[in-house]
Amino acid sequence: MWPKISWRLLKHELRRGELTIMAAAVALAVCAVLSLSVFSERLQLGLLDRSSEFLAADRVLRARGAEIPTEWLERADQDNVAWTQRVTFNSMAFAHGEMTLVDVKSVGDGYPLRGHLEVASAPYTEGERVENLPQAGETWVQGSLFQTLNLEIGSVLEIGDAEFTVTQVLSHQPDAGFNVFTDSPTVLIHIDELDRTGLIQPGSRVNYNYLFAGEPSDIQRFETWLVPQLDDVTQRWTSIQDGDSPLSAALNRAERFMLLASLLGVVLAATAVAVAAQRYAQRNFDAVAIMKTLGGRTPQITRIFTLHLLLLTVVSILLGLLLGNALQYGVIWWVSDQLGYALPSGGSGPYVLAIATGLLCALMFSLYPLLRLLKIPPLRVLRREITAQGLGKWLHWLIAGATIFLLMVIYSGSLMLSSALFAGGLVAMLLLLGIGRLFIRASRSAGMQAGSSWRLAMAGLQRRAAQNSMQMLSFSIAIMLLLLVLALRNELLDDWQSQLPDDAPNYFVVNVAPHQVQPMQDMFEAESIQATELYPIVPGRLVAINGTMVRDAVTKEERDDSEFREGFGRELQLTWQANLPAENRILQGQWFSPGEAGVSVESQVAERINVGVGDELTFRVAADEFTVPVTSIREVDWNTMQPNFYMVFSPDLLEGMPATYIASFHLPTERRAELYRLFRDFPQASLIDVEDILTQIRDVIGHVSLAITFVMVLVIFAGALVLVAQVQASLDERRQELVILRTLGARSSLLSRAVSYEFVVLGALAGLIATIAMEVAVYALQTQVFNMQPTFHWRFWVLGPTIGAFVVAALGWAVCYRLLQHHTGTLIRRLQ
Amino acid sequence: MALIQVQSVSRNVATSDGELQILSELSFSIDRGEVVAVVGASGSGKSTLLSLLAGLDLPSTGQVVIDNVNLNDLDEEQRAILRGDKIGFIFQSFLLIQSLTALENVMLPAELAGRPNPEQEARELLAKVGLSERLTHYPNQLSGGEQQRVAIARAFIGQPQILFADEPTGNLDSKTGERVEALLFELNREFNTTLVVVTHDDKLAQRCDRTLRLDAGQLVEQQHVA
Repeated sequence: MWPKISWRLLKHELRRGELTIMAAAVALAVCAVLSLSVFSERLQLGLLDRSSEFLAADRVLRARGAEIPTEWLERADQDNVAWTQRVTFNSMAFAHGEMTLVDVKSVGDGYPLRGHLEVASAPYTEGERVENLPQAGETWVQGSLFQTLNLEIGSVLEIGDAEFTVTQVLSHQPDAGFNVFTDSPTVLIHIDELDRTGLIQPGSRVNYNYLFAGEPSDIQRFETWLVPQLDDVTQRWTSIQDGDSPLSAALNRAERFMLLASLLGVVLAATAVAVAAQRYAQRNFDAVAIMKTLGGRTPQITRIFTLHLLLLTVVSILLGLLLGNALQYGVIWWVSDQLGYALPSGGSGPYVLAIATGLLCALMFSLYPLLRLLKIPPLRVLRREITAQGLGKWLHWLIAGATIFLLMVIYSGSLMLSSALFAGGLVAMLLLLGIGRLFIRASRSAGMQAGSSWRLAMAGLQRRAAQNSMQMLSFSIAIMLLLLVLALRNELLDDWQSQLPDDAPNYFVVNVAPHQVQPMQDMFEAESIQATELYPIVPGRLVAINGTMVRDAVTKEERDDSEFREGFGRELQLTWQANLPAENRILQGQWFSPGEAGVSVESQVAERINVGVGDELTFRVAADEFTVPVTSIREVDWNTMQPNFYMVFSPDLLEGMPATYIASFHLPTERRAELYRLFRDFPQASLIDVEDILTQIRDVIGHVSLAITFVMVLVIFAGALVLVAQVQASLDERRQELVILRTLGARSSLLSRAVSYEFVVLGALAGLIATIAMEVAVYALQTQVFNMQPTFHWRFWVLGPTIGAFVVAALGWAVCYRLLQHHTGTLIRRLQ
Repeated sequence: MALIQVQSVSRNVATSDGELQILSELSFSIDRGEVVAVVGASGSGKSTLLSLLAGLDLPSTGQVVIDNVNLNDLDEEQRAILRGDKIGFIFQSFLLIQSLTALENVMLPAELAGRPNPEQEARELLAKVGLSERLTHYPNQLSGGEQQRVAIARAFIGQPQILFADEPTGNLDSKTGERVEALLFELNREFNTTLVVVTHDDKLAQRCDRTLRLDAGQLVEQQHVA
């Protein structure tokens, strides 16, 4: 019989809206977790896919000088990991009696494993996607080589002993990489053609790269097997998250933000469940007392209400799954539409996680209220003031705390992060509680001087100081988390936006001869092209620090990176400047004063080679050696698309040495076709197109921005629900008083004003406390988690209290208004 | 033969000012089929006495014996079973479960007791109290008089030996109160129940076989009516 009673109670209560908040809170928790995890999982996969394009694979094994054992590749086959080979080296290429240095890239079938190639029939024109590779005897070459060697489609290019017919312009390669100083134009050939060139000899400087791609689990298995066998000197294993990519910083930040914001969302939804569960139990006190009076035994009633709660949980979870699924489909459809490609689908993990969250939230947070409910003595039917006895509040806090902690661990998968957040949250909560009480006390004296509605409101606040400070705590937490997510989102977006403005340079021009500097500057001006200034470059070497030869020291230090950070460790690109370049910041020392001789060193390099202001560096340029003091250490923003230098000399020092010039400029995409005309007069200069890279980075940042906006919206929903649940619950407590005042003849306008004022004060105080807490939290997160410059958010100091006062008061007023619509008689009857 | 025996029952509660005696040394008995009114001023201990008679609470000293079972010997669970078997209730504020319909409220005790045909029984009883048309209404859709009739139907569904009514007409206007009162006595006769009514209403007390008057926790008068 009891299942029938449970079901009946649930059915009617759902229909009558009595369980709405509880069901909505559980459903929201499930919906939030599901949509967030599915979305972030799919987005993550999408991001990795897109980012993997920078590698043309999921993982790359770079081996210098020698091939890897074939059993490693056999193992990849066994692990279902696709692989192909890319062998690169520099060589001279000849055509029409001209020659130039090129980057020969010979690739195996299947290349690229991630991303795609595009070819065009003329340089600097729109490319078309292709799935094949150059055939035997053919080569595809980058546009700039057409300019340098005066090529046409069909021209013959000699590389080593072999001749190749140029059949396409290579307009896009996913793993183009980007290094303006060493980039020679790429010449793409099939790997089977490599032997024919006769260029691979023992001792040649050849990079053997092995590209791997596959399902994450397969890749993971292979990686675990392979990595311990690598020698760290000549072999290096790379994934996109290793920090080599210009995106890794953005990705890492975004990942941290998503995790943090989702955690906050889950905690908020859980708080809403906790508040609603409390109310759920209170509403059922009478039902339990009546059942016990009518002969219901405790085990029977336990079964009835446990099943009732379970059914409610199941219904809410189903609702949450339905909503979450619809939401994430909608969002993914929209995002795919925005991004122009479909996101890959994820696994069943998020569904399990969402269901577990729903169960945990609903059952654990209802446990204490349910225990209290079952302890209600039957005597309550005669003495209405009796509630449950013998259950300490500490049990409630213990269960709630343990549940929130468990949810955090499950969700973040990190005990460390969860413990830190939990401990921080606990301290913040205690502080907020204390501050809340102080504020409420102070507000009493202020209210005494006001009109009757205000006096009533203030008296109410004071009388319920204990409950009010708890309510204020949950209001504060909800508002604080909302402000926090909003502030962080804005910070991250601003940060990314400022790094890559729409007019960020999308081309570099290198190898500009000194006599062409002025004509080129004139051309930029005449054509209204935004360009950086032209920086001189002189190749040179660092040979001694404070008189000690550094070759050994540097090569040892550099061993790990030298292969991958071209241009440093062997030869440096030196420049001179009278003024500090834009996007550079002096950390130590001073910029050159006129007539002073010295060198300014980039901060990371300074750290790596262990030099500081005052050290003497000796450089060799061509056959000359000279020694200069380090006069400053500079921080350089490497994310900007403009020429950046490790070593900047004072003017005069390098003048007269053989220099070429470099600049970057922005040319709108629609003017791309003009490139050939613009640079026709500068045949020696080479153009490097970074538009592709920019587009890829913008794509990824676009993804991430959408994702964090989505997370923010969900967190706002969760926060709003907490507010609604809390206002509902706190109005239950006020109901009796309202009815009595109403009976005594208080007009509804006075009562709803009094309630609104009480909530205005509560909300405004909560908003203020929330803003203070938010500012502290954002500071900690910016400096400790996101590696950003801390900022102050003065707008939020107005926004926080205003939102708090307005939203909380509006909700309170709405609930109160509904209450006051009934006749006083009905209200009194309901009270009983 | 006495169905309810009250022997030297006292009830004390602890307050901040020390122990407060609400009932002191009450002794009386109620026979099977008897209709007894418990009267007295507010605070005289009527409701406390009712709670002890129904096993909702236990006396501080003395004992309550119902149908030869000493309530002191039973734990909370056993007392609940006893209530389910032998006792029905009617309250001043009706105490219907708000989220159940009239029919479901009446079925509830029978369902809790695991009786075979609760719905059929409930329908018949609701027909007897004149609410056949209101089966699917929720308590807040019913008038006070209708709610009390539902409560009466609920009280009789278990065919209890004893029915406790706590101010059954206290929340109703006099006309409705009279109708409800009439219904209560009619059903009581039909089911031959022992009825204990706690009331302020002298007219209602007059209709009972006997009146127990309480004053400051003491039984001051037992009066047989007619």
